[in-house]
Amino acid sequence: MAEQTITITIDENGKINAETIGIKGEMCLDELQELLENEGDLLSVKKTDEYFQQQTVKIKNKIKNKKQ
Amino acid sequence: MSTVIKTVTPFIDKECLLKALDKLDVKYTINGNQIVSQNQKFIYRNGHYTLDMYSHNYQSVNWNDYKNKNSFLEVVEKEYNQFYAKKLAELERLRQEALAEKERIRLEKEIKRIEEERKAFVEKQKQAIIEKAKAKGYSVKVKKVKNKIKLILVRHTY
Repeated sequence: MAEQTITITIDENGKINAETIGIKGEMCLDELQELLENEGDLLSVKKTDEYFQQQTVKIKNKIKNKKQ
Repeated sequence: MSTVIKTVTPFIDKECLLKALDKLDVKYTINGNQIVSQNQKFIYRNGHYTLDMYSHNYQSVNWNDYKNKNSFLEVVEKEYNQFYAKKLAELERLRQEALAEKERIRLEKEIKRIEEERKAFVEKQKQAIIEKAKAKGYSVKVKKVKNKIKLILVRHTY
Protein backbone atom coordinates (compact mmCIF):
# COMPACT_ATOMS: atom_id res chain seq x y z
CA MET A 1 0.00 0.00 0.00
CA ALA A 2 1.54 3.29 -1.12
CA GLU A 3 0.93 6.62 0.51
CA GLN A 4 0.45 9.71 -1.58
CA THR A 5 0.78 13.01 0.15
CA ILE A 6 0.16 16.48 -1.14
CA THR A 7 1.06 19.43 1.04
CA ILE A 8 -0.58 22.66 0.01
CA THR A 9 0.34 25.92 1.67
CA ILE A 10 -1.83 28.97 1.16
CA ASP A 11 -0.26 32.18 2.34
CA GLU A 12 -2.20 35.14 3.73
CA ASN A 13 -2.60 36.63 0.26
CA GLY A 14 -3.86 33.44 -1.33
CA LYS A 15 -0.58 32.45 -2.98
CA ILE A 16 -0.32 28.68 -3.16
CA ASN A 17 2.65 26.40 -2.86
CA ALA A 18 2.07 22.70 -3.40
CA GLU A 19 4.32 19.71 -3.09
CA THR A 20 3.65 16.07 -3.77
CA ILE A 21 5.26 13.06 -2.18
CA GLY A 22 4.76 9.51 -3.36
CA ILE A 23 3.14 10.36 -6.66
CA LYS A 24 5.39 9.47 -9.53
CA GLY A 25 5.64 10.83 -13.03
CA GLU A 26 3.23 13.16 -14.71
CA MET A 27 0.45 11.97 -12.46
CA CYS A 28 1.60 14.34 -9.76
CA LEU A 29 1.17 17.30 -12.09
CA ASP A 30 -2.25 16.07 -13.18
CA GLU A 31 -3.25 15.63 -9.58
CA LEU A 32 -2.17 19.15 -8.64
CA GLN A 33 -3.80 20.61 -11.71
CA GLU A 34 -7.11 19.08 -10.75
CA LEU A 35 -6.88 20.20 -7.15
CA LEU A 36 -5.71 23.72 -7.85
CA GLU A 37 -7.67 24.45 -10.98
CA ASN A 38 -9.14 27.95 -10.81
CA GLU A 39 -7.31 28.69 -7.56
CA GLY A 40 -4.58 30.82 -9.08
CA ASP A 41 -2.37 31.26 -12.12
CA LEU A 42 0.57 28.91 -12.29
CA LEU A 43 3.88 30.67 -11.71
CA SER A 44 6.43 27.87 -11.82
CA VAL A 45 6.81 24.10 -11.79
CA LYS A 46 9.82 22.45 -10.28
CA LYS A 47 10.09 18.77 -11.00
CA THR A 48 11.67 16.66 -8.27
CA ASP A 49 13.57 13.38 -8.59
CA GLU A 50 10.35 11.53 -7.91
CA TYR A 51 8.80 13.01 -11.04
CA PHE A 52 11.53 11.46 -13.17
CA GLN A 53 11.42 8.07 -11.44
CA GLN A 54 8.49 6.76 -13.41
CA GLN A 55 9.94 8.21 -16.63
CA THR A 56 13.25 6.45 -15.94
CA VAL A 57 11.50 3.15 -15.35
CA LYS A 58 9.65 3.55 -18.66
CA ILE A 59 12.87 4.27 -20.60
CA LYS A 60 14.71 1.36 -18.93
CA ASN A 61 11.85 -0.94 -19.87
CA LYS A 62 11.99 0.31 -23.47
CA ILE A 63 15.73 -0.39 -23.68
CA LYS A 64 15.23 -3.79 -22.11
CA ASN A 65 12.49 -4.65 -24.59
CA LYS A 66 14.66 -3.58 -27.55
CA LYS A 67 17.54 -5.80 -26.40
CA GLN A 68 15.19 -8.74 -26.19
CA MET B 1 -21.01 117.06 -7.35
CA SER B 2 -19.77 113.71 -6.36
CA THR B 3 -19.41 112.12 -3.01
CA VAL B 4 -17.08 109.52 -1.71
CA ILE B 5 -18.00 107.77 1.45
CA LYS B 6 -16.25 105.08 3.33
CA THR B 7 -17.72 102.94 6.03
CA VAL B 8 -16.08 100.98 8.74
CA THR B 9 -16.02 97.23 8.31
CA PRO B 10 -19.35 96.04 9.70
CA PHE B 11 -18.74 94.38 13.05
CA ILE B 12 -20.86 91.34 12.38
CA ASP B 13 -18.98 89.00 14.68
CA LYS B 14 -19.54 89.77 18.34
CA GLU B 15 -16.66 87.56 19.50
CA CYS B 16 -14.16 89.42 17.31
CA LEU B 17 -15.49 92.78 18.34
CA LEU B 18 -15.15 91.91 22.01
CA LYS B 19 -11.62 90.65 21.46
CA ALA B 20 -10.78 93.90 19.67
CA LEU B 21 -12.14 95.93 22.57
CA ASP B 22 -10.25 93.73 25.04
CA LYS B 23 -7.03 94.27 23.15
CA LEU B 24 -7.60 98.03 23.15
CA ASP B 25 -8.27 97.80 26.86
CA VAL B 26 -11.77 99.19 26.50
CA LYS B 27 -13.87 98.24 29.51
CA TYR B 28 -17.41 97.22 28.68
CA THR B 29 -20.43 95.31 29.85
CA ILE B 30 -22.79 93.32 27.74
CA ASN B 31 -26.41 94.20 28.04
CA GLY B 32 -28.59 92.14 25.72
CA ASN B 33 -27.72 93.23 22.19
CA GLN B 34 -25.64 96.12 23.43
CA ILE B 35 -21.97 96.34 24.30
CA VAL B 36 -21.83 99.20 26.72
CA SER B 37 -18.59 101.01 27.40
CA GLN B 38 -18.43 104.14 29.53
CA ASN B 39 -20.26 106.77 27.47
CA GLN B 40 -20.67 104.94 24.23
CA LYS B 41 -22.20 101.68 23.23
CA PHE B 42 -22.29 99.33 20.32
CA ILE B 43 -25.80 98.29 19.42
CA TYR B 44 -26.64 95.27 17.30
CA ARG B 45 -28.63 96.61 14.38
CA ASN B 46 -29.24 95.28 10.89
CA GLY B 47 -26.92 92.32 11.39
CA HIS B 48 -23.93 94.15 12.81
CA TYR B 49 -22.75 96.13 15.79
CA THR B 50 -22.80 99.85 15.24
CA LEU B 51 -21.49 102.57 17.47
CA ASP B 52 -24.50 104.40 18.77
CA MET B 53 -23.86 108.05 18.00
CA TYR B 54 -26.56 109.34 20.30
CA SER B 55 -25.00 107.71 23.30
CA HIS B 56 -21.73 109.28 22.46
CA ASN B 57 -20.56 112.10 24.67
CA TYR B 58 -17.40 113.53 23.25
CA GLN B 59 -16.73 115.62 26.29
CA SER B 60 -16.79 112.97 28.94
CA VAL B 61 -15.66 109.92 27.08
CA ASN B 62 -12.32 108.49 27.98
CA TRP B 63 -11.04 107.15 24.71
CA ASN B 64 -7.71 106.01 25.95
CA ASP B 65 -6.01 108.52 23.71
CA TYR B 66 -8.40 108.17 20.84
CA LYS B 67 -9.34 111.65 19.74
CA ASN B 68 -12.72 111.10 18.26
CA LYS B 69 -15.26 108.53 17.29
CA ASN B 70 -13.80 107.95 13.86
CA SER B 71 -10.28 107.34 15.04
CA PHE B 72 -11.67 105.03 17.72
CA LEU B 73 -13.65 103.15 15.10
CA GLU B 74 -10.58 102.90 12.92
CA VAL B 75 -8.50 101.24 15.60
CA VAL B 76 -11.39 98.97 16.59
CA GLU B 77 -11.80 98.07 12.94
CA LYS B 78 -8.12 97.29 12.57
CA GLU B 79 -8.14 94.97 15.56
CA TYR B 80 -11.51 93.52 14.61
CA ASN B 81 -10.26 92.67 11.12
CA GLN B 82 -7.21 90.95 12.53
CA PHE B 83 -9.28 88.85 14.92
CA TYR B 84 -11.80 88.16 12.19
CA ALA B 85 -9.06 86.93 9.83
CA LYS B 86 -7.63 84.76 12.61
CA LYS B 87 -11.06 83.33 13.33
CA LEU B 88 -11.61 82.53 9.66
CA ALA B 89 -8.19 80.87 9.45
CA GLU B 90 -8.93 78.84 12.56
CA LEU B 91 -12.32 77.79 11.20
CA GLU B 92 -10.65 76.78 7.95
CA ARG B 93 -8.09 74.76 9.89
CA LEU B 94 -10.85 73.02 11.82
CA ARG B 95 -12.71 72.38 8.58
CA GLN B 96 -9.59 70.80 7.06
CA GLU B 97 -9.14 68.71 10.19
CA ALA B 98 -12.73 67.52 9.95
CA LEU B 99 -12.20 66.63 6.30
CA ALA B 100 -8.98 64.79 7.18
CA GLU B 101 -10.83 62.93 9.93
CA LYS B 102 -13.59 62.03 7.48
CA GLU B 103 -10.98 60.85 4.97
CA ARG B 104 -9.19 58.87 7.69
CA ILE B 105 -12.44 57.09 8.56
CA ARG B 106 -13.12 56.38 4.87
CA LEU B 107 -9.63 54.94 4.38
CA GLU B 108 -9.94 52.80 7.51
CA LYS B 109 -13.18 51.36 6.15
CA GLU B 110 -11.52 50.70 2.79
CA ILE B 111 -8.57 48.93 4.46
CA LYS B 112 -11.00 46.81 6.49
CA ARG B 113 -13.00 46.00 3.37
CA ILE B 114 -10.00 44.79 1.35
CA GLU B 115 -8.71 42.84 4.37
CA GLU B 116 -12.02 41.04 4.67
CA GLU B 117 -12.12 40.46 0.92
CA ARG B 118 -8.65 38.88 1.05
CA LYS B 119 -9.51 36.68 4.02
CA ALA B 120 -12.75 35.55 2.36
CA PHE B 121 -10.83 34.72 -0.82
CA VAL B 122 -8.26 32.60 1.02
CA GLU B 123 -11.02 30.81 2.94
CA LYS B 124 -12.83 30.08 -0.32
CA GLN B 125 -9.60 28.72 -1.83
CA LYS B 126 -9.09 26.47 1.17
CA GLN B 127 -12.63 25.13 1.10
CA ALA B 128 -12.52 24.51 -2.65
CA ILE B 129 -9.27 22.54 -2.40
CA ILE B 130 -10.53 20.54 0.59
CA GLU B 131 -13.72 19.62 -1.25
CA LYS B 132 -11.84 18.55 -4.38
CA ALA B 133 -9.31 16.60 -2.34
CA LYS B 134 -12.00 14.75 -0.40
CA ALA B 135 -13.80 13.93 -3.64
CA LYS B 136 -10.55 12.41 -4.90
CA GLY B 137 -10.25 10.24 -1.82
CA TYR B 138 -7.72 12.22 0.21
CA SER B 139 -7.95 12.65 3.91
CA VAL B 140 -7.36 16.27 4.78
CA LYS B 141 -5.55 17.82 7.71
CA VAL B 142 -5.64 21.58 8.13
CA LYS B 143 -2.92 23.38 10.03
CA LYS B 144 -2.32 27.03 10.66
CA VAL B 145 1.37 27.89 10.46
CA LYS B 146 2.01 31.56 11.26
CA ASN B 147 -0.15 33.39 8.73
CA LYS B 148 -0.30 30.48 6.36
CA ILE B 149 -2.77 27.65 5.99
CA LYS B 150 -1.26 24.25 5.46
CA LEU B 151 -3.38 21.49 3.94
CA ILE B 152 -1.96 18.01 4.19
CA LEU B 153 -3.71 15.65 1.86
CA VAL B 154 -3.03 11.93 2.26
CA ARG B 155 -4.30 9.07 0.14
CA HIS B 156 -3.38 5.40 0.13
CA THR B 157 -3.21 3.44 -3.09
CA TYR B 158 -2.77 -0.25 -3.72
